[in-house]
Amino acid sequence: MATSIVIMGVGGQGVLTLARWIGEAALAEGYDVRIAEIHGMSQRGGSVEVHVRFGREVYAPIVEEAGADLVIALEAVEALRGFRYLKPGGVLVINKRVIQPPGRWYELGEVVDAIRKSWPKTYIVPCYEAALGLGSALYENSVMLGFVSQLLGLPMPPSLDERNQAAFRKGMQLFQEAAAADQ
Amino acid sequence: MRLLLLGNEAIAYGALSGGVAAATAYPGTPSTEILETLEEFKDRFVHWATNEKTAFELAYGAALAGARALTAMKHVGLNVAADPLHSAAYTGVEGGFLIVTADDPWMHSSQNEQDTRWYGLQSYVPVLEPSNPAEACKMAKAAFELSERLKHPVMLRSVTRVSHVRAPVELEPPAPPKWGRFTRDVKRFNLVPANARERRKELVEKWEKMRDVAGEYVSVEGSGDVAVVASGVAYNYVKEALRRLRISATVVKLGMPIPVPRKVAELAKSVIVVEEGDPVVEFQLRAMGVATKGKLDGYFPKYGELDIGKVAAGLAKALDLPYDPPQPPKPPVEPAPRPPALCPGCPHMGTFYILRLATAGLNPLWSGDIGCYSLGINMGQQDLITHMGSSVGLGAGISITGRHFVVATVGDSTFYHAVLPQLIDVATRQVPILIVVMDNAYTAMTGGQPSPSRAVPVEKITEALGLPTFVIDPVDIKRSVETVKKAVEVVKAGKPAVVVSRRPCTLIATRKARRAGLQLPKYRVDPDRCTGCGLCYNLLRCSAISKRPDKKAYVDPSLCVGCGMCAEVCPFGAFVPEGRRDRWLELWQQA
Ligand SMILES: Cc1ncc(C[n+]2csc(CCOP(=O)(O)OP(=O)(O)O)c2C)c(N)n1
Ligand code: SF4
Repeated sequence: MATSIVIMGVGGQGVLTLARWIGEAALAEGYDVRIAEIHGMSQRGGSVEVHVRFGREVYAPIVEEAGADLVIALEAVEALRGFRYLKPGGVLVINKRVIQPPGRWYELGEVVDAIRKSWPKTYIVPCYEAALGLGSALYENSVMLGFVSQLLGLPMPPSLDERNQAAFRKGMQLFQEAAAADQ
Repeated sequence: MRLLLLGNEAIAYGALSGGVAAATAYPGTPSTEILETLEEFKDRFVHWATNEKTAFELAYGAALAGARALTAMKHVGLNVAADPLHSAAYTGVEGGFLIVTADDPWMHSSQNEQDTRWYGLQSYVPVLEPSNPAEACKMAKAAFELSERLKHPVMLRSVTRVSHVRAPVELEPPAPPKWGRFTRDVKRFNLVPANARERRKELVEKWEKMRDVAGEYVSVEGSGDVAVVASGVAYNYVKEALRRLRISATVVKLGMPIPVPRKVAELAKSVIVVEEGDPVVEFQLRAMGVATKGKLDGYFPKYGELDIGKVAAGLAKALDLPYDPPQPPKPPVEPAPRPPALCPGCPHMGTFYILRLATAGLNPLWSGDIGCYSLGINMGQQDLITHMGSSVGLGAGISITGRHFVVATVGDSTFYHAVLPQLIDVATRQVPILIVVMDNAYTAMTGGQPSPSRAVPVEKITEALGLPTFVIDPVDIKRSVETVKKAVEVVKAGKPAVVVSRRPCTLIATRKARRAGLQLPKYRVDPDRCTGCGLCYNLLRCSAISKRPDKKAYVDPSLCVGCGMCAEVCPFGAFVPEGRRDRWLELWQQA
């Protein structure tokens, strides 16, 4: 059986890098891995979607609708777009941040509440805030990585530099806090 | 060494370990990273060509002369190279010749969904179809020997979900490039009719032999009365769908679907066929008298990409089994679309604005083309885009009907790729059309490959053809509008004119400037001056500028690159610079 993950975000947020880190960590654990990337047009400020699958034996490179064990969204509106991938019982993890799409205004609090109500297995993680605390929004993907690595039981990928390692640890800590609050 | 490699990187490394000596390509998603990977290897001939045809010819010629050669392109690129492709099958080759095409089912970055395997049938060139990056690597390596054994070109058909999938690949070291030398053989290489007729007879015979060769690429797995034939990436979905449905079946995997080996027709009288793209395998099997259930009768969808769910549903239908997949959940709030937009400070944004002002009142027909400027669709300034070169080619055709003022917008890479011959038609017939070459010095849309625009400046060519040519700088909006108006007058008088709008891709320029340690200037809005007229966010449409709830403009400082175009268009002087722009503009022009 393979674990199927869909990662959603906005161009420039490091969605591809996050996917590669998860893939590297899974490979280091001896799993087979498939990462389906989308290059080209879709990166110019638009929505970005990457699929990651890992397990003892993986064939298909993409995740179908209602087929993801885990949907990771680096942005809340993209989380809404990622909903269709959730399989029954799947987990949704969202970075607490809205990047306003053109032509419509979303209130972060309202979106988050609506999501929580309609999908109880949701974690809202302040990756953006934590990344700013570490000096730059650029680290929001590595904070997210630290968080989901705990959910997925994966180690820290070997290629993280020092500052991303710090962000990874921050993400792990956020997970422990969330898990404690769940108890 | 086992690495997570992109399918395209895997193809490049496969070709290297196969001793490729000459590699050529024209960029195009999802094929571009093949040559980008090979570019690092300076001990071979690696070249970004002007278009797919010239790329093909360079590699084909090298292979005629005994070298191992590769040419790579996206699916539609093979349309451009189709002429020499068909000749290559007639002459055959001496050195291994590998043609890689990357198809884009469901058009993630393309204008059509085209199955290039048809070209294999049409041109009598065998086609390999890998199912994943590791297999793509092996096939690319082995293709050179195969091609030399057959003395025939070999095609490798990839798709987005092989080319842009990252998966573990076992890397082999590169082999030294294998070069050769041309041996004269007029009967073989000169396709005058008398010779071509002989080659045609040979080709038809060779093709039957290739069916046996294709048999070497068949693998049969599992057992059971049900037989499923799967080719390329479709194999992956079949494996997982069978597991999901808990049925055992005999899976016949084709590594070379063109031509379909006889062996497959002998394996079963009735099969389910699963393939990505058109029913190319299914057609062939039916022609061999095999009963099939596949795309032809709608067991699997006729457009879009396959996935496990679609394949499971198709298998269930073919086998009369129940299948009740979960429905995708609906989000509690609708997500607004987030379409791609031009980068902040993109020179194309200035050019579109200038063109709009300079053609005011003429209701121009915007004949567009493929490149970053296709995003001018957001400004209502790309009325048609069909294929590379449509801007001038179709624009001229519309112009000769005599009812439209046609503005053809084309990027520099596309200009050299497709527009050069069209220019000669326009010049010799004096077709009234305003041709605007948006010269950003790169092939930006595919990630910034080089373009010939600096080596062979556009205006040298258009002036040689006697076309009145005007060069502008798109960030210098006010002055450029006046210049373009002169070109508009030429077209109004019934003649062609050319505008060259010259400034390098902002994305590449900002990267270079930051590396050089330059602090970019930034603009901010003085809210007392801003009246909320919306010129900047509605017409210029810089993606760093948004509309506040009070309609006033806001510049996101993390996105602003200090191009200053907003300050040029604002009638109220509301954009205030922080830092100086002159040195940046200079460095940018050289980027
Ligand atoms: C026949 C063909 N080959 C390749 C492509 C992929 N492609 C789309 S646009 C483009 C060129 C873009 O360069 P340019 O015209 O200079 O515009 P820019 O993106 O730099 O603005 C390419 C290579 C294609 N669509 N069709
Ligand atoms: S990549 Fe370059 S040409 Fe394309 S939109 Fe961005 S700045 Fe413009």
